[in-house]
Amino acid sequence: MQPEAVELVALALAALVLVLAFAPVGASRRALLAKGGAGVAGTAAVVAAPAFDIALLVMLALALLHAAIEGRRSFAARLRLPVLAVALLALAAVFARVEGPDVLHRFAAVGFAAGLAAALGLLPYIHTFEPEEQVTSSPVAWLGFVGPAVATVVVADAQGLLTADAGAVFSAVLLGLGLLNMAWGSIATWLTENDAAAWRYSFIADWGLVLSGFGITLADGQRASLIVLFAIVLGRLPLYITSRNAVRDKVKTERPINLLVAAALAGSAPFAGFSARVLLLRGATQLYWPLALVLAAGMLLWLPGSLRLGRSLGVPRGRQAVAVAIVLAISVAVGLYPLPLLTVARM
Amino acid sequence: MGEGAGAFVAWLGASLVVLSDGRRGLALGVLLAGAGVAVVAFPTAGLGGSAALAVGGLVAATGRLVAGPPGWAILPAGSTPRLVLCIAGGLVALWVGLGVTSGDGASLRFGVISTIGFGAARVLSSHDQSVVLSALALISLAVGAAVGLAAPGSGVVPYVAAAVIAAGSAWIPIKAPSAA
Repeated sequence: MQPEAVELVALALAALVLVLAFAPVGASRRALLAKGGAGVAGTAAVVAAPAFDIALLVMLALALLHAAIEGRRSFAARLRLPVLAVALLALAAVFARVEGPDVLHRFAAVGFAAGLAAALGLLPYIHTFEPEEQVTSSPVAWLGFVGPAVATVVVADAQGLLTADAGAVFSAVLLGLGLLNMAWGSIATWLTENDAAAWRYSFIADWGLVLSGFGITLADGQRASLIVLFAIVLGRLPLYITSRNAVRDKVKTERPINLLVAAALAGSAPFAGFSARVLLLRGATQLYWPLALVLAAGMLLWLPGSLRLGRSLGVPRGRQAVAVAIVLAISVAVGLYPLPLLTVARM
Repeated sequence: MGEGAGAFVAWLGASLVVLSDGRRGLALGVLLAGAGVAVVAFPTAGLGGSAALAVGGLVAATGRLVAGPPGWAILPAGSTPRLVLCIAGGLVALWVGLGVTSGDGASLRFGVISTIGFGAARVLSSHDQSVVLSALALISLAVGAAVGLAAPGSGVVPYVAAAVIAAGSAWIPIKAPSAA
């Protein structure tokens, strides 16, 4: 088992506990526990699978169960892209394993990257989104809850199956997809009309950073990816769930708490996103310094979108305020001292 | 000879799923694909693994028979692109399985590539849940059979898991989308 994947499952469990403890008024804790628990169990099964093919089968079962729960989108709309993802990943695994010319293994590399994007709902395979849909049945469940551990497993297994040449192609495709998702996600977060859709695009932008980190095959890139994944699971996801009522009521406020949340979402110091960005830029500089310039320019695009998302949180009160405070405190702790997070993942 | 026939049956079944919109056509496609995949997987999966895949296909096909649009609906009007996909896709899978790649298990490679490829194409081309679930069953069975390409003799667990998912997909209760 990948230690970082195990750590991400633990973080998903912690996020579930946080959400259950501080769920918005009116939310059914029993339903949240059942659906979230099933998600954590499924994710753990993907991580614990002894072979890549079995992990794919577990992903298929997870997609089926996720599509079968009640939601605003049709069953077929929810199931289509995860099934396509499994098909792409399975074909990629076949091409990586058979004896054949190098070009076949390069196709495998492209298949792994495309399958990963389809599973998570990233460009060019964005899942359909319904702003009023519950988080548990929406694409955000893949982006912010199940996806981080699953992506870690897929990337590690793909790197194990690919040859050195095809592995370089895989890294290049991940970098390209990362930059594309960074740019598209952050600009769409800023400019899209609906606040719930803006939150969804902000997850996509963060995944752009993660894919870029995976693509930078140096240790700093992998560390940056893990910290961004932490910031997604225990930062952006709980804040998104906290913002749901305010987004539905179209409340916008500009209090200090909104600015703090915006700073955390934008990856400003001293929050966790900042250390991830520093590591990513350092890794990119070591790999190919113009890449660091492009990444730095892309990171600036987080600011307007994050200010918008911070305002959309409203003024959290009661349990919600406690949840926001806990999320910000954890983010600051990891931002200032990320070593324990990295040590557990053996990075 | 038997493996070659199994690969052809798997392609035929997957093609039927691509070409059909009715429950009978989809059920027959899943049944044939399951049987074909089980035959091509036999040298690596053994009797237990192959039987699991075949039973998974049978249960999925039975479930398909009781839900979805009635009738066969094979080659409905406007299905020329699907027919072209079945023929051209089959030829490409055959070329990759036999010509581009080398080593033992050409039938397995052809069966797996064509079944997964057609399943993915069908998932993308339909909004009907019975069609999407049929494609999921195909992909599940083919992913199970593909285990033989990685680790021949890896036990029956992956094949049983694939069969359970394929069979379960046809019987899982599905809630209608809630109103906006």
